[in-house]
Formats: sequence, C-alpha cells, structure tokens
Amino acid sequence: MRKNSPAVSILFWILISLVTLFPIYWMFVVSAKSRVELFGKPNFIIRSFFSENYINTLTNPTFQKYMINSLIVATANSLLVTVLALLATYSVSRYKLAGKENIYFWTITNRMAPPAVFLLPLFLLYTRTFSIGSWKLYDTRIGLILLYCVFNLPFAIWTMRGIIDAIPKELDEAAMVDGANTWQVLTKIIIPVAKPGIAVTAILTWVFAWNEYLFAATLTSVHARTITTGLAEFVTVTGTNWGQMAATATLTLLPAFIFIGLAQRHIVAGLTFGAVKE
Amino acid sequence: MPRAGLKTALAAAALVAMVSAAKADFWADAGAPYKGVTIRGVSESTPPSNYVKDVLGPEFTKATGINVEFEATSWDQMYDKAIKDMEAKTGIYDFVYIEQDIIYSYLARDFLVDITKTLADDPKLAAPDFNADKFTSFINYFKNDKGDLFGVPMEAFLKVYLYRKDLFDDPKAKEAFKAKYNRDLAPAKTHAEYQEIAEFFTQWGKDNNLELWGTTVQAHTGHPASWYEFFESWAPTFGLYNWGINPEKNYAASEANGGSMNGPKAKAALEYWLGLLKFAPPESTSSTWDEVAATFAAGRAAQGLVYGENAAWIATNDSKSKVVGKVGVALPPLAEGVEADAEAGKGYIGYYDGGAFGIPFSSKNQQAALLFLEYIGQPSVQPDWAVAGSRITHTDTYDDPKVKAMDEKVDHYFTLMRDKGKLFAGAPPYPFHAQVREATAPFFYQAIAGELSPQDALDKMAEAAEAELSKLGYRK
Amino acid sequence: MRSQAVGWLLLAPTLLVLAVFGLGPFIYVLITGFTDWNAFAADPTARFAGVQNYRHLVFDAQFLYSLWLTLGFAFFAVASELILGYFLAQLFMHDFPLKGFFRTIHTLPLMVAPIAVGATWRLLTVPGLGPIPYYLDKWFGIDYRLGSFADQAFYTTVLMDVWHWTPLVTLTLLAGLVSLPREPFEQAQIDGANRFQIFWHVTLPLLMPVILATVFIRVMDALRTVDEVWMLTGGGPAAATRYVGLYIWRVVFPKTDYGYGSAMSLLTLYLTIVMCWLLYAALVSRREKPKAE
Repeated sequence: MRKNSPAVSILFWILISLVTLFPIYWMFVVSAKSRVELFGKPNFIIRSFFSENYINTLTNPTFQKYMINSLIVATANSLLVTVLALLATYSVSRYKLAGKENIYFWTITNRMAPPAVFLLPLFLLYTRTFSIGSWKLYDTRIGLILLYCVFNLPFAIWTMRGIIDAIPKELDEAAMVDGANTWQVLTKIIIPVAKPGIAVTAILTWVFAWNEYLFAATLTSVHARTITTGLAEFVTVTGTNWGQMAATATLTLLPAFIFIGLAQRHIVAGLTFGAVKE
Repeated sequence: MPRAGLKTALAAAALVAMVSAAKADFWADAGAPYKGVTIRGVSESTPPSNYVKDVLGPEFTKATGINVEFEATSWDQMYDKAIKDMEAKTGIYDFVYIEQDIIYSYLARDFLVDITKTLADDPKLAAPDFNADKFTSFINYFKNDKGDLFGVPMEAFLKVYLYRKDLFDDPKAKEAFKAKYNRDLAPAKTHAEYQEIAEFFTQWGKDNNLELWGTTVQAHTGHPASWYEFFESWAPTFGLYNWGINPEKNYAASEANGGSMNGPKAKAALEYWLGLLKFAPPESTSSTWDEVAATFAAGRAAQGLVYGENAAWIATNDSKSKVVGKVGVALPPLAEGVEADAEAGKGYIGYYDGGAFGIPFSSKNQQAALLFLEYIGQPSVQPDWAVAGSRITHTDTYDDPKVKAMDEKVDHYFTLMRDKGKLFAGAPPYPFHAQVREATAPFFYQAIAGELSPQDALDKMAEAAEAELSKLGYRK
Repeated sequence: MRSQAVGWLLLAPTLLVLAVFGLGPFIYVLITGFTDWNAFAADPTARFAGVQNYRHLVFDAQFLYSLWLTLGFAFFAVASELILGYFLAQLFMHDFPLKGFFRTIHTLPLMVAPIAVGATWRLLTVPGLGPIPYYLDKWFGIDYRLGSFADQAFYTTVLMDVWHWTPLVTLTLLAGLVSLPREPFEQAQIDGANRFQIFWHVTLPLLMPVILATVFIRVMDALRTVDEVWMLTGGGPAAATRYVGLYIWRVVFPKTDYGYGSAMSLLTLYLTIVMCWLLYAALVSRREKPKAE
C-alpha cells in the first residue's frame, strides 16, 4: 500500500485527536470554572483555575469512599470474571459436553436483557434472599462484584472463545500425553499463549465494571456506593451542580486513563476474538 | 450556599446544641435505650437535605448516641429506592423523604408509621419541644383524614414569579415600554400583561444585542418537569385545578365524562403557555427546574415562575448567579376570578412545594427514627436551617432575626410566603400521581415539540388518563 | 481423552453465578410478565393476567415506535462505527511518529462512564452554555436545539454513541488486521489487483469473522443503551430518542407498572436474542468455512 508521509499522518491524527478530546476537554473547562463564568459566550480558555469544584470533591470523604469502592469492585470483578471466563471458555472449547453450544449462547444472552426491569427481582434477592440475620447482600461490595458478572462474563467468554479456539488443540493434547493434568495444561500452555487476549478481556471488563451506574445506584445505599452514583448525586433541584459534577467526572477518568495507558500494548494484540488464525 | 454561610450556620448550630444540652436532657434519656442503633434514611440531594446530613444528623448522634446514616441521591433514584424498600418491606430505611405530591400514594398503601398514634401510645418518646401546632399549615398535607400525622415537614417553598428588578426599573426600558403598550412597566398581574412584558424584553434583548429573553419556560420535552410546570403552576392561574380530573365524577378527565383536562380552560392555558416559548431562551425545551433556575441566574430571562428553593441563591450567591440584588418577587399573573377562588378555598394560584420525613412501616428502628424526626422538628433548629436551605416549616421561623435579614435580600420572599402562602396549594390528593403523569406526559411532550396541536394533545391526554385510571382500578 | 466431568467442573462456577444472578431474576420477570401488577393501583397486589400484557403490547403504538427507533439507532450507530473504525484501524496499520500516543488518545472515550458521557454531551449541547449550538448558529446559522428538533436529537445520540464506542471497533478491527496472513495480499498484488479489489476480495472476506464478532457485541450493547440518552435528552423531544431501554425504565420506575414492564422487557430480550442469533449463525458458518477448503 502507498505510504503516507509522516507529516500528513500526524496532521490527520492531531485532527482526529482534537475531535476525540473535544468533549472531554469541555468537561474539564466546565470543571475549572465557576458557575457565573460559564454563562454567556462559550470560552475554551481557562483564565483562572476555579479550584473550588475540585477541592469540594477531593476533600469530601464520601467521594474518597466511593472512589475506593469503585476501585475494589472493578478490580475484584475483573479478576473474578477473567478467571471464571477462562475456565468456562476452556471447557466449552475443548470438552465434548452435551448441548455445550446452546449453553454457550445462553451465557451470552445474559448481557442482552434491558436492565431496568431486572432491578426489582435483584432488589428482592439482595435484601431478602441473601440475608443472614442483620447482614444483607444489599449495599455490599461483594454484591456488586457478583452481580457485574452477569453482564461481564458473557463479554469475557465471547472474547476469549475465539482466542482459545485459535490455540491448536494438538498443543495441549501433546502435553496431556506427557502426563500433564488439566491445571498444568491451563497454566503452562493456554495462559502463556492466550496472555494478550486475557489481558484485554480483563481490561475491558474492568472498564465496564468501573462505568456501571444503574445496578450500583439501586443495589447500594451508603457503604458500597460507587463513583458513578456519586455523579448522579450532583444532579439536584437547586440548579444541577455542573461544575462539581464535571470535576468528579474528570477525576473519575484519571484511574481509567492510567490503567488504559499502561495496558495499551496488550489491547491490540489481544482483541482479535481469535477469529483469525495466524 | 456559599461556604462561609454554611460555616456560620454550623457554628451557630453548635451553639444551639450547647444551649439545648444545658436544658433538661430529654434527648440523652429518650435515646438511651437505642444507644448504638444506626438509623438510615434516604433523601434527595438538596441544600435542606444536606443540612440534615451534615449538621442535624451528627448533632442528633451527639445528643442521643443514635447513629444516622443519610443517603442523599438524585430525585428519580430516591423515589425508586424508597418505594422498592417499602413495597418489599425490606426495612432498609428508617426514614424516607416524602415529597408532598407522593404522600397520598404512600398513605393509600399504608407505607408509613402513624406518628400521632405512636407518640400517644408511648409518651416517653414525646420530645417536649416537638409540637405539630408550631408548624405552618403545610404540615396538614401530611395528615390523614383523621388528623393523624405521618410525616414531619423538613422543607416548604412557593413557586413564585421572579422578575428582574434592574430591568423593570431601567428608565429607558420603562419609557420604551410605555410608548409601545401605553401603560407603566410593572410586574404582570394578568396573563396578557405577562405576555406583553415577555415580548417587550425579548425585543429589547435583540435591539440592544443582549442575551436576554422575556420569560423562562420549564418546557423539557423528555422530563416531567414540563408537565409539572403546566399542571402545577400555569393551569391553576387559568382556573384549571387538580389536573382537570374530577374525583366526584368517577375520576373523569375528559370533558365528555365530567372532567376538564381537555376543556376550554385547559386549552387556553396550554395555548398561552406554548406561546410563551416564542419569548423564551432557546434552552427552554431542554429545561427542567434546574436549568430554569440557571437561566434566570445567568440573567437570560426578564421574568419567570421559579421554584422558591432557588430564589435565595439566585438573589444572594454571587459565585452562582449574575443577578444578585436584582431579583424581584411577586405573585403569578392570574385570570379573572382565580384569586377569589383561592381566597374562598375553591382553588389555588400556584404550587406550594415541599416535603417531609416519614418512617416506613417496615423500619426496624421506628422509635429511634421517630426521635430523629422530632429532633429535626424542634423550633430551635429551624432558623439556621432556613438560612442554609431557604425553607420554612415553622410559623415562628419567619420572625427570627437571621431569617428577617435574609428576607430583605430576597425581596421579601419569606414575607410573601407567610402572607400569601395560603393561596397556593400542593398537588391534588391522588394516590395515582406518578402513574397518570407518566401516562399523559408523552402527549404533552408532543404538544411542546409541535407534533400535536394543543387541543389534540389535551384530548389524547384526557383519554390516556382515563384509560390508566381504569387500568389501575380507580375509575370504575 | 478428556473427561466430561472435568469439563462440567470448569464450567460450573460460571453457570452457578449466572444461574443465581441471571436466570433467577429472569424467571421472576418471566412470571411477573403474566401478571397485572402496579404498586399504586387500587389493588396493589400482583394478579395473574395470562397473556393480556403481551396482547396489549403488540398493539401498543408507543412501544412499537420505541422498538423501531432503537433498531434505527443501533443500525446507524453501529454502521458508522464500523466504517469509521475500519478506516482508522487501517491508518494505524502504518507506522508514523507518536502512534502509541495517538492510539491512547483515541481510546480515551471508552474510559468515560456512560452516565458521564451523557452529562458531557449535555454540557456541549445545551443552548446558553454549550459551544455546539453557539458556533453552529454563529458560523452556519443553524438553529440547534435538542429539546425541540427530533432529527437533531436522534442524530446527536447516534453521534454520541459513535464518539463513545468507535474506539472499541477500531481496536478490535486493528487486532484483526494485524493478525491477517500476508500471502493473499502479496498474491493479489502480483495479480495486479487495485486497492478496491484487494479490499473487496481479500481483506473483507478474511476480516469478516472479526467484523461479525464486533458487530455482535456492539449491536447487543446499542440495543440496551439507557444511561447516556437518559442524561442527554431524557428520551425527547417527545418520543424522538425514547429508545426501548429508556421506555422500559419509565414504565417500571416512575410508573411502577411492573407487570407490563416485565412483558416489554421479555419481548425486547426475545427480539434481541433472535437478532443476535442470526449474527451468531453467520459468524459460526464463517468460522467453519476455512476448514472446508
């Protein structure tokens, strides 16, 4: 294919990046101005940084708690989902199980349901069924971690299926002939080969869990609330608190940004869904 | 609220706490059996609620040893969670926010604890300072037909007519107005006057190259705020009360069946209200109560009907508002006969808005929660709370020096509330409030978007309301 | 030989979690869908109503309109994301300075929570605050008001979704492109095929499995979009962006019509499954093809 000159490429990508960054930058602008400064002609330049929005957010112990909850829930869910999905996908890929393709498709359908109506049974499940004495699954981080499996497992299994299918069966069969057990096959053969794919699955799972709002809002109250529910709390009657909301949103973006920056390399390598064999 | 204001309020509240601690210690004694208990409540995240969360809750814990966990969340979430909790009887919440318009739904379902009866049965719980007679008449909304109390009011406001004093007093504007309309520029008393002023200032904005329009309109095309602005605020000023639903005629909504939702008054009101959009800033069709307040605070509208909880910060907080010191407060413009209706108790001229805290029947800590509600219902905690959240629930609060000082700054909004509050009313006593609103709102949004004519929209709304009421079993 | 017992054991934890938190609630909703149940009806208990909810549903013009609209939204959004994503992925195939940096920037929107995406776009588009209506009016004389004009609102939600999710499509297609074998391309060039011919006869067929897999996941998610649109337009003006997820939310949350809402959810879920099944079948047949050769 024809090679584009680097200057043209860079220019083009700067343009694309500006479009991509524009909404995020505007969010930052809103977060860095007082309410009064925002009125009138839109102005992209931040003359004096209005730090009150950030100070209010950062010094708010509730915000800190929400942030920690989000980190714990997203990370734990990501780990749990990745492990479960790896085991499940390996099983579906390698074992002759009766009706496995139907089971596989059924696991995927768990992501398809419109979420609103499922909140009622989930609420009952969390407050009544899973309650021992005064302890309830409601308003616990473990409750969210388990629940997020419902929409993250299908995604993870879907992504990993192709990756594991693409690993030649002969590899693990050879190992088995040499006397390796299932655990050894997984850790010595499958995981090393599928590492990039597993990493991407884990990252995107993390992102989905980090960003979830509706379930967290309904199934937590005070202790296990996550940062996305905190965003909605700024939408109040006395003039939506846009500045503070934007500040919170910007701060919410940071951990995700760091995370994705670190994991950038793996993403491309792992996202093939394994659909194409090398 | 400015931070400094909140700090002063905190200091003052601490002082009040010390003074009351020196008095006979009812709270420590009454709280003793429940020491260490944690009560949990849910409310909308508003300044009055946040004051309870940040100031009154901790104070109460200090006085009684009962812990308070307070979940402040968005309006939709608050309802959803409170209703799910009470519906499923899970007992998550020990007190819930009850907006005045939902109380009838909750009473119909026996969701709430009867406060009057509980206090009578267990006099040990009755705080000496708590007295329902000290409240304004707003408390009556939270009583059942026997007069028993089910909620302790924690906020109350009027939706009033705000106008820009600086513009109305501008000599040039006055002169131009007089030349064009042949009368003096003054806050509108009638709908025609209001429309003329709106038209005048929209043109004035154009001529002087200002970002200024004649009126705010709370006309979001995908949020019930617009529906509320019409049925709570504008329709009554045309003499259309209680959404045009007639409980005496088997909850009829359509004119054919004895209702008035699609009658001539409704049509006149809707046509007029939609006509105001011409003189409103472009964000109006995306405006809920939040944005209407923001629009007015930005100085983009010369007048408008604005919820009273916003009046104080619009008039005083210069980090949020460009119109500090320029806000005038008046009664909404009225059609002929409406004021007489309201004086006679047959109608009302606008919306009396507010809410209370009540105790769900499913709560496992009803006594501790009741102590908390009594605590926030004490007259002594009211003035600082009023300054922090511009809400008044007790008659004595109006006379407090701090509140009076504030009143001066907001063009006597509090005085207006005290003197004219009786002409305003809350939502009609319907247990199907949200259901009928949701059933009719889609057609209402279509009318704003211009997809249906006012008459067609009202016909469809009346039909949908009746269908929903039949489905719910209220209309037999 | 692999033992079936081990296979089931590996699958068991996943099935257990999904059964408790997925299937359990599903059964509850399934039953609720056959009842007449509104928490604030004169009789607030659930009563068995047979298929009455479904009978109403298939004639409910508002619901059907929402469904139709959702399909339109998913179609426009996913198609645009696919075209744009493919184009960008191809560009990432070349080496140029700062590639990693630009790729990270391009990935950023993925990291923004849907509810924050909606809020951000609202800040961009509200007249009197946002720059978009201001400059559209100033430079092009376009009256841009999401609250008033149905078409603008619809396309803005599509655009918002494209902004948010194109990065995912770019990344998956890029990964697919990277792993394509080289020989067919070299062969085609030797045969003198032009750019379009190579794209149509070589790249597209080879890439098809990745494309289908991407479309599958995107369609699935686009059909249940709620948070962003709820924040941006609330479903308005009138019904212009009232996608089915949002409509169901309205029916079960504020209106507390649990019976009818459940029926709506199940019908929507059923249609989603059918659509996804078709895509899946296409994908599976594609995957198996190379073996036949």
